[in-house]
Amino acid sequence: MNDINKKRTGNLISIQDSLVKARFFDDVVMGETAEISVDGKFLQAEVLQIQPDPKNADAGIVEMQVFEDLTGAKIGDEVVFKGTPLSVLLGPGLLTSVWDGLQNPLYKLSEEDHYLKPGMNAPALDEEVLWDFTPSVKVGDEVTGGDVIGNVPEGNVDHKILVPFKFGTCKIESIIEKSSVNIVQQVAVIVDELNKKHELQLAFRQPVKSPIPFRERAIPSKPISTGVRVIDLLAPVGYGGTVGNPGPFGAGKTVLQHSLCKYAVADIIIMAACGERAGEAVEVFKEFAELEDPTTGESLMNRMCIFGNTSSMPVAAREASVFIALTVGEYYRYQGKKVVMLADSTSRWAQALRERSGRQGDIPGPEAFPMDIPDQIKGMYQRAGEDLGTGGSLTFIGTVSPAGGNFQEPVTQATMDATGGFWGLSQDRADAKKYPAIDPLVYTTSVYDGFVSWEDRKKMLGILNDANDIDQTISTIGLKKVPVANYVQFQKGLTIDFCVMQQDAFEKNDACTRPERLEVINKAVQNLIGSEIDFQAGDVDDEQVKELIKHKFDELRQWWRAWNYSAISEEEINNLPLAVDKFILQEEYAV
Amino acid sequence: MIRKEINKISEVGKALISVEGNPGVALNHVVELLEADSNQSLSFAKAINITEDTTRFQVFNGTTGLSTKTKIRMHEIPLTAGFSNKMLGRSFDGAGEVSDGGPEVIFEKQVSTRLDTLNPTVRNVPKQPLWTGIPMIDVFNTLVKSQKIPIFAGPTEPYNRLLSQIAKGAQADVIIFAGIGLKFDEYHYFKEQLSQSGNIDKTIMFTHLAGDSQIKGLMLPDVALSVAREFGDQGKDVLVLLTDMTNWSNILRNVANYQDMIPSLQGYPGSLYSELAKRYEVAADIEGAGSITIIGATTLESLEDPVPDNTGYITEGQFFLENGKLKLARSLSRLKQGVNGKTRSDHRAIMTAMASLLADAEKAHEASEVGAANDAYSQKLLRYRSDFISNIEEPFGEPIELEPALDKCWAILKRHFDPTETGLSKKLIEEYWDKN
Repeated sequence: MNDINKKRTGNLISIQDSLVKARFFDDVVMGETAEISVDGKFLQAEVLQIQPDPKNADAGIVEMQVFEDLTGAKIGDEVVFKGTPLSVLLGPGLLTSVWDGLQNPLYKLSEEDHYLKPGMNAPALDEEVLWDFTPSVKVGDEVTGGDVIGNVPEGNVDHKILVPFKFGTCKIESIIEKSSVNIVQQVAVIVDELNKKHELQLAFRQPVKSPIPFRERAIPSKPISTGVRVIDLLAPVGYGGTVGNPGPFGAGKTVLQHSLCKYAVADIIIMAACGERAGEAVEVFKEFAELEDPTTGESLMNRMCIFGNTSSMPVAAREASVFIALTVGEYYRYQGKKVVMLADSTSRWAQALRERSGRQGDIPGPEAFPMDIPDQIKGMYQRAGEDLGTGGSLTFIGTVSPAGGNFQEPVTQATMDATGGFWGLSQDRADAKKYPAIDPLVYTTSVYDGFVSWEDRKKMLGILNDANDIDQTISTIGLKKVPVANYVQFQKGLTIDFCVMQQDAFEKNDACTRPERLEVINKAVQNLIGSEIDFQAGDVDDEQVKELIKHKFDELRQWWRAWNYSAISEEEINNLPLAVDKFILQEEYAV
Repeated sequence: MIRKEINKISEVGKALISVEGNPGVALNHVVELLEADSNQSLSFAKAINITEDTTRFQVFNGTTGLSTKTKIRMHEIPLTAGFSNKMLGRSFDGAGEVSDGGPEVIFEKQVSTRLDTLNPTVRNVPKQPLWTGIPMIDVFNTLVKSQKIPIFAGPTEPYNRLLSQIAKGAQADVIIFAGIGLKFDEYHYFKEQLSQSGNIDKTIMFTHLAGDSQIKGLMLPDVALSVAREFGDQGKDVLVLLTDMTNWSNILRNVANYQDMIPSLQGYPGSLYSELAKRYEVAADIEGAGSITIIGATTLESLEDPVPDNTGYITEGQFFLENGKLKLARSLSRLKQGVNGKTRSDHRAIMTAMASLLADAEKAHEASEVGAANDAYSQKLLRYRSDFISNIEEPFGEPIELEPALDKCWAILKRHFDPTETGLSKKLIEEYWDKN
């Protein structure tokens, strides 16, 4: 880029909401960041467009979006161009952090004021904490961008210290011994091909809009145990996969996201709270700290970092927050970690783009979104993936908040096109309080070898489909005209829906189901699906037979739900298929 | 202090004026408009769009009577709102000026109306219930201090009656009533209801009547919420009633159109979500201070309209009022899980069971309309449904405390179902079934 030592400036000539224009006489680089001096505060901005100046042939006009509130800005206020694109600080200390959308640490800022005011900022990572650095290269070794020069323990995570990705082939000129250092101390010096020396620290800045590369990209195939039965049974997501999760408000997107944060088996969880309610992010970083990580047993926050760019924060920073979070995810993937990133909500991100393009006067596409929104969404999801070269993966689960709950709107459609998986939340199921409200008949997945065999999944889907069809028949022509055999099929489907697909995220024992338990459940489900049951109704009419059947299934469902809540020991867990077998034989099974 | 004056108005439009050149005014700063000859103050205005060639202002009192000769006096500060404990019991307009004809209020301080975002780390996780005496809320969708929640209702529904019913019994230190685009009788009704309940002394009313200047309506929530926030920062539990946010959004739409902004859906600006969120997010339970709870009213023709749709994504649930009843199916309190696990042991379970049965009953009801609900169980469901609507979904009447309300729920279940049909656990059935 430019010679960053030379100060390049401009002056404001237009101010409208978060969009400004400035006149400059030197040079400006597309995408670089800038600082605008307003009332003695420095506000962060990003260059969006460069145009000629109709009033002055020697000057140019630069259009910028500003990430902070511009109250008090005047014509003529000075702009200083920084020469670097929007970037994120990567290094030890990322985990457990809570930032705003521009990686300002929120706890640190709260020491200054309860409210977030324009111009406030603080170093993204703590510069005083000491990390136990162990070098893994020696003087004279050849390294390139992304190579490991040492490591520090970051909680339970082995945090590898990488050569910043911008470097080509370099030689290690010096490296410190095993010692405790902070993130601003020098740990090594490298010499590049032009014989230029560069100091390395534990942390470095990485531009957020150019992805960190893969070593050897692979197709995601190994399923993640999310603990959510309907997902793990029917619509699993693989390590490195992508999922779009649309749903109207109130359908349970947030609860599902929180369940995934708590129970998904992964090394690292990154949460980008993008334009959503502040309270939800607060719940995560205040309550999850007290919960246990399913694999390590430590505080759940030890594997998390959170970008809390909530709905009332400046809109321009919303776009940035998703890219910043993605870059952190890619960084850990490059270290071989299994990362799951949750973005809630990608619709708010798209709306931020819409607000901006509207102000810029771009010709609007459908529903006033920018024309290229599908490409931008695809580009974002494409940054997820599995890397065989490092053993790491970045899984991206984005929620979508479709206007009016209508899945035909542009962002939902583009997301369906961009992602490998799709969990559609249904208003009808949510209204009936059937949570999680993922419709077992409306989803897609790109993982074929999940926790149960493809054949078993097909059978499960088959009976859920049958039950749905019979249900529609009952509501149109009435129960009387439905044959007894179909009614049994309907009750079987209903039971599997009620006891397996539905799950109580707020009940300790039901909230998370691991693969071993899932296997036991599947056994019971498959036996029930394949069964023929003689209800020994005796000599009564069809309507009475149906009433008897309903009663028997009600009892089974009650027993099964109780099992969901209470079965903990292996013996108790194995009771389920036994009980179902006895139910099939119409024997006593209450234990 | 001598304030700079200019005299270069080049354009007077609906609610907006423009000035040629660059008078040096800063974004969102306030100017005063003066009658050219008499120097009489006509209105205040706020700079919203500045270029080196022209500056645009929103005029608080509307633009009628302004001319190109009108003088502009610069105040070089952003908009603030006056604050004083003496505001309690009084009425103000959207700019925070006394509007009840009473004596002037001497303000203790001026507070910023910028509504800066509260740092999320100083928010407490909401855990304190706000009981209303309405079973549909207390049992099924418990309201929690610091919650932001709208009442969704058709324009002819008694949503203001419901708001005032909640306000009358609310256990808050301060009630801030913010009415935008109100009809005079609505304003009068609130005032009377609050006076009768004795809550008027802890209430501040900010009112904008239909037909008043649009800009004053647009600013009203910011002024009201800034005052609410100041009480919250001083440790008070504040309840804010915003009615009706659809009126407010429509003003936002009008002004965006005057500003030639590209509309997104149904003419509303693309920023509608962010603009609504900025106001509703003031609701908070603040560490070491008080709390702000916001109940809004959003009138709608259809849930898919941009205003209720965006609101639903911002707020922590919604109460749905239809045919004078609070409907279970579409109502939701997102914060209820934080409080309803610590009440009586049957609270959550009975809430889920009754909702699930009601969903089945709604299906049976649909079937019955085509004559298909002819089996015995469907008949049971239909009887349950009408019992539920008239006894649980009714929001008006004598307040009921939580435990009697739960008992009432058991009684309804028992009237219509066998224990196994409820989906409730054996343990709860044993504990409660025969008690009611």
